[in-house]
Amino acid sequence: MSQKYYLLRNREVADIDRMDVYLAHGGYQALKTALTDYKPEELVDLVKKSGLRGRGGAGFPTGMKWGFLPNDGRKRYLVVNSDEAEPGTYKDREIIEKNPHQLVEGIIISSYATKAREAYIYCRGEFLFGAEQLQRAVSEAYAEGFLGENILGSGFSVDLKVYRGAGAYICGEESALLESLEGRRGNPRLKPPFPAIAGLYGGPTVVNNVETITNVPAIVTYGAEWYTSMGTAKSPGVKIFSVSGRVSRPDNYEIPLATPLRSLIDDYAGGVLPGHKIKAVIPGGSSVPLLLPDKLDTPLDYESVLQAGSMLGSGGCIVLDDSVCMVGATARLVKFYREESCGKCTPCREGTYWMTDVLDRIERGQGTEEDLDTLMDIADNIGGKCFCPLGDASLGVLVSAMKFFRDEFEAHVREHACPMGAKLYDTVNH
Amino acid sequence: MKPEWNQWAREFKEQYPGANSALMPLLHRIQAEEGWLSDETIHDVATLFDLPESYVESVASFYSLFFRNQVGKKVVHVCVGLSCALAGSDRLMENLEHRLGIKEGQTTADGEYTLLEAECLAACNQAPVVQVNLRYFEGLDPERPDVLLESSKSPEEEVKP
Amino acid sequence: MIRLTIDGQEVTVPEGTMIVDAAARLGVDVPVYCYHQALGPLGACRMCLVQVEKMPKLVTGCTTAVTEGMVVHTKGGAVEKGRKGVLEFLLINHPLDCPVCDKGGECYLQDYTFEYGPGRGRFQEPKIQKVKNGPINDLVLIDQERCVLCQRCVRFMGDYVGEEQLLLEGRGVETVVTTVDHQPATSQFTGNVIDLCPVGALLSAPYYHKGRPWNIDRHSTVCPHCPVGCSSLATTRESHIIRLEGRPVPDRDWGWLCDRGRFGYDFGYHADRIADSWVKERATSAAQATRDVAEWMQQTNAQYGPGSIGFVMGGQFTAEEAHLIKKFAHDVAQSDNVAVMRNVRGYLPAALNGTFQDLTEADTVVFVGVDPYEAVPVVHLKLRDRLRHFSQLKVLGVGPRRLTRDTMPGRDYLVASQDEAVFFARALAAAAKDGPGVQTLVDSVRDYVLPVSDADIEAFGQALLDAEHLSLLWDGENAAMAEVLAVLAGLREKPTAVLPTFGPVNWRGYEQAGIDPRYDNVEELLNKTRTGEIRMLVLWGADLTRDLPDRQLAEQALAKADYVVSAQVVPPLDMPYIDALLPVATWGEVEGTYVNMEGRLSIGAAGVQPPGQARPTRTYVANWGRLFRQDFGLDDEWDPFDSAQGDLISRAGNNHGPAQAVPRPGTRDASQEWTIIEGDWVMENGMPSEILEPRETEFVARVSPEDAARLGIGEHGGYVEAQTAGGTVMIGVQADPAIVERTLWIPRGSRHDWAQHLEGLVKLTRPEEVPSV
Ligand SMILES: Cc1cc2nc3c(=O)[nH]c(=O)nc-3n(C[C@H](O)[C@H](O)[C@H](O)COP(=O)(O)O)c2cc1C
Ligand code: SF4
Ligand code: FES
Repeated sequence: MSQKYYLLRNREVADIDRMDVYLAHGGYQALKTALTDYKPEELVDLVKKSGLRGRGGAGFPTGMKWGFLPNDGRKRYLVVNSDEAEPGTYKDREIIEKNPHQLVEGIIISSYATKAREAYIYCRGEFLFGAEQLQRAVSEAYAEGFLGENILGSGFSVDLKVYRGAGAYICGEESALLESLEGRRGNPRLKPPFPAIAGLYGGPTVVNNVETITNVPAIVTYGAEWYTSMGTAKSPGVKIFSVSGRVSRPDNYEIPLATPLRSLIDDYAGGVLPGHKIKAVIPGGSSVPLLLPDKLDTPLDYESVLQAGSMLGSGGCIVLDDSVCMVGATARLVKFYREESCGKCTPCREGTYWMTDVLDRIERGQGTEEDLDTLMDIADNIGGKCFCPLGDASLGVLVSAMKFFRDEFEAHVREHACPMGAKLYDTVNH
Repeated sequence: MKPEWNQWAREFKEQYPGANSALMPLLHRIQAEEGWLSDETIHDVATLFDLPESYVESVASFYSLFFRNQVGKKVVHVCVGLSCALAGSDRLMENLEHRLGIKEGQTTADGEYTLLEAECLAACNQAPVVQVNLRYFEGLDPERPDVLLESSKSPEEEVKP
Repeated sequence: MIRLTIDGQEVTVPEGTMIVDAAARLGVDVPVYCYHQALGPLGACRMCLVQVEKMPKLVTGCTTAVTEGMVVHTKGGAVEKGRKGVLEFLLINHPLDCPVCDKGGECYLQDYTFEYGPGRGRFQEPKIQKVKNGPINDLVLIDQERCVLCQRCVRFMGDYVGEEQLLLEGRGVETVVTTVDHQPATSQFTGNVIDLCPVGALLSAPYYHKGRPWNIDRHSTVCPHCPVGCSSLATTRESHIIRLEGRPVPDRDWGWLCDRGRFGYDFGYHADRIADSWVKERATSAAQATRDVAEWMQQTNAQYGPGSIGFVMGGQFTAEEAHLIKKFAHDVAQSDNVAVMRNVRGYLPAALNGTFQDLTEADTVVFVGVDPYEAVPVVHLKLRDRLRHFSQLKVLGVGPRRLTRDTMPGRDYLVASQDEAVFFARALAAAAKDGPGVQTLVDSVRDYVLPVSDADIEAFGQALLDAEHLSLLWDGENAAMAEVLAVLAGLREKPTAVLPTFGPVNWRGYEQAGIDPRYDNVEELLNKTRTGEIRMLVLWGADLTRDLPDRQLAEQALAKADYVVSAQVVPPLDMPYIDALLPVATWGEVEGTYVNMEGRLSIGAAGVQPPGQARPTRTYVANWGRLFRQDFGLDDEWDPFDSAQGDLISRAGNNHGPAQAVPRPGTRDASQEWTIIEGDWVMENGMPSEILEPRETEFVARVSPEDAARLGIGEHGGYVEAQTAGGTVMIGVQADPAIVERTLWIPRGSRHDWAQHLEGLVKLTRPEEVPSV
């Protein structure tokens, strides 16, 4: 399907990760425009008008977040969240590996807008190549005078550093990320204070997702109206969806928000594999509830997906077809949260451990009817009681799977085995 | 302590407003050279940062990519996330275990390979995926672990994390 | 102030108060594990869930600050379900070993489970296996399986004490509490984590499997090891004290103890404990010894008349016992020669004596000759607490060694002990030359050369005057400081408090009983003995040879006296001079009043019987009274508590007269290469303890790291040869960066013999052959 790319321009332009190529295709023009035609406050307004919402998962309006920074003269920081580790989500990785200059350009413009003097990209530890790509782009940007002191003679200065984590999903949570960036264990912080008031090194800080910031140069170039011309009033613009699972063409797709889920799966990702039917879809990364096939016409915007009973989240869309055992899939996802719980708070630490064990047992065919009730009760005891949202995130798929596919769980109990003969469980709990 | 560590620590510290931010970069750097972080290394790094050893140990042990035990020359991380699992990563893991003669979490006797599980590696479109010393190997055939082991031998892939 | 409603009751609390603390004011108990008021909010355990109206979810009461008009419910279905859930989570990986756990019956996990927990376990999988009964050090054990990861212990050692010897290792459900490199923790505050641990994860090693709640008794008492007199709880079983725990006092005391205090309770049944009566080096019956001593007293009185018997109070007796001795001396033995044993010459009038409250309000603290970490450890923690709330706290040290430290950073002025008063006087003269009494103070030391620059002297004086709330800790070594402190207090209009750190621990109690505790008094008493005016010495806990700074005077007096009677708990160094050694009851065996360094009265309980023939002071004086056939009103009701003062002694009186000049220190012998300095170190001085033996070192003397290197002393210390006027002794030495070069530091009142034989130290040399340890 031929389409225009604003975020994944690497799909159109070969080698756009190189400065010369990026420049030759209009790169850093948006930066020049921003620095010459806009005051910082005007840029914040522009982003507010565009309606851009955070692509890290929560969908918080970006311009509004920038507006929270107190005007008290303290040094400000912009931190870009490239910790992408939510199962099913791999959009940021493509950007940093293949189109890093657009992110860097976005960071410089966003720093100018938020008056940040220092910016960081916190890269997931596993993204070694991504970090190298970013580092190269950053060095090239310094060499061109796009970073550092008095950028392009504007009087504006900002420094940008690439920082590598070391393997911990929780560091994607913004306050844990800041802890990690300050050289500590990645335990989430008590809020308030929020990062805007006391973030990195105690200073006012904006934390934004990679994709969020990569939108900024395009918005400067094409304008807020262009952005709001796509999607809905409340969810305007484009978004990258990472499609994976049982589809013909798993890949990242950059599409306007409010594109129907069915279109994403069928038109873009090539539909489910021949001879199979969709069983359920996880539309927004492993933390969100399942949608059943009857919801396939849901437009992919924040409000509609919420209305349909799930969340748009990070846009990691995992498609499960009729060959997938829901018990196995659920067990696998819950185990992820057990591995990644930071261990600070009781319900998250112990609850994910317990749920994993119970699910594992059910999957092995050793579960009881009572286990199913216990599972739901454990979920209830975790829900809304954890220190940070990770605990709740572990429940999205589980609770909806138990609601929609309880019969499959019961079949495992009754038949003392997976009725589908699926083998997902083999590595769970090793 | 290797003499260059001091130099590295100084360079990293200069880059950040808070000196402790330089801790992870230094641990990465040292691990890239040494392969893992021994008790002595932790002690030395604490000295370089004028931090209690407990602090450094506590931080290092939080992150799964810092190895506090000796690992093989090649650390093989098999993604076991849902999308990879749906594409046969469990089978791939079994085959690798069989082929290397070790279980997940172990290191081959010759010190060549360490086999580990990884949670979703953000490459779900290429499932199943594996990282060898953090370099991606994508779209693997679960039944052909040799392909991975052969290709990961090529010299340009020898770079350490 | 903020007004809110909790469970239908209204309460007004200061802004910033957390819901759990506000609830506590109403007597509403919100269960917590990770929260501790001293350590601050963490929000990890989630036990304290409460419902706040208008909030969509339950909130943690420990991390949610009160707001005006807030309506909180700590009961109700949602809250109860939440608590139950959290408890169930805590239990899934918690071993089922309550029947063999020392915490059983005293455990919050047990208590809360009983109160709020699930009826039965639903968890069927194997529990995670971790280390059981691993050592934190020789005194503290950890059972990682029981740990609920509240982080109280880690935060206490790290944030609170500042000695980061515990850590969280790993992540998620695999997280454990452990020590650095799995090596023993060395801080002297490690035992507090036992009290802090809400479950049975951290346990006392010496108490391990020694008692269960139903076969022990607990008594409120005070720690007898240093002048802080920490409030504590003694656990007794079968006439032994088998544990000491901290006892928090609301709004005043967190209940911290140092490891010396917490674990040094076993001196009462230590192998060295004197349980027999000895007369003229022969063991005898208690009755015989009592009769002999009575006879000597009668004989002395008959021959030399009233005032010929001298009494010296030392040790760890109660104020009531001091009163008995004083009364017995006056009424029966016909002597007013009663003194308090002193190991330093300083004395502080009660009018200047501050309280611990002054430390919590101070903006400037000055350590005069004393490092509180060593001498009065829990004061160090009180100051750490202050530092947490007031990071600008100014800490100044004045003395012959560095007195500030990493955990209590500040500025040190290095001046010899004998110059401390001169330094203060000159500092005051520089900063307030027209102040009352200031010129008189410096009269004879205007031109005395100090090793500190004039600018520093003036800056120090200014700091003393500028402080909003000044607190000084004083070791009493330099007696002239009393004069300086009085003038300083007179100069300042703002609060000025002095806390004496010297002993004996209950000297204020002895003073309350009417015994003059000044050094001059005991010196005069011994001078009278030396000259033959006093013929008999009754040493009630005092050990002259060990403690008196004027060793010559001590020996001459002891040698001259016709009879020396010594009532002791463990053998004194005075032994060669003693005619009758009486085994006496001590702390934990006698109930009575102790007055600590802030002048606060507390009751020490009697929980156990003294061993063998050891008897309380009361028994001795009563028997002697009988033998003298004299009823001296033994049972009159003397009560050290003065109802007008509450539990603090009166600060009135002691009006300071006209200022006196600070005496000019004598010139030092320039040929002497080494200076010997002494300091209080509670780990090293005082009563013997088998429990603490693993913590003790042979190498108690200290030199600078430079000298240590020159002497070839390794990391953990070693032996060196000390050449003194009297010959050569081997001494155990370690390096300490707080000590300056060519200075040898030794603990006051050390149990090591050689500490008594260093007079006229000429030099330290590397021994030819190092004796093996
Ligand atoms: C457990 C957890 C993991 C998260 N992981 C990520 C992540 O990998 N990347 C990301 O951008 N945001 C992640 N977030 C969201 C961030 O906390 C934060 O909201 C986001 O970075 C803000 O950026 P945005 O406003 O541009 O979306 C995570 C949140 C939670 C609770
Ligand atoms: S050891 Fe005790 S105090 Fe420390 S974290 Fe564990 S449960 Fe808490
Ligand atoms: S993720 Fe650990 S407490 Fe929330």
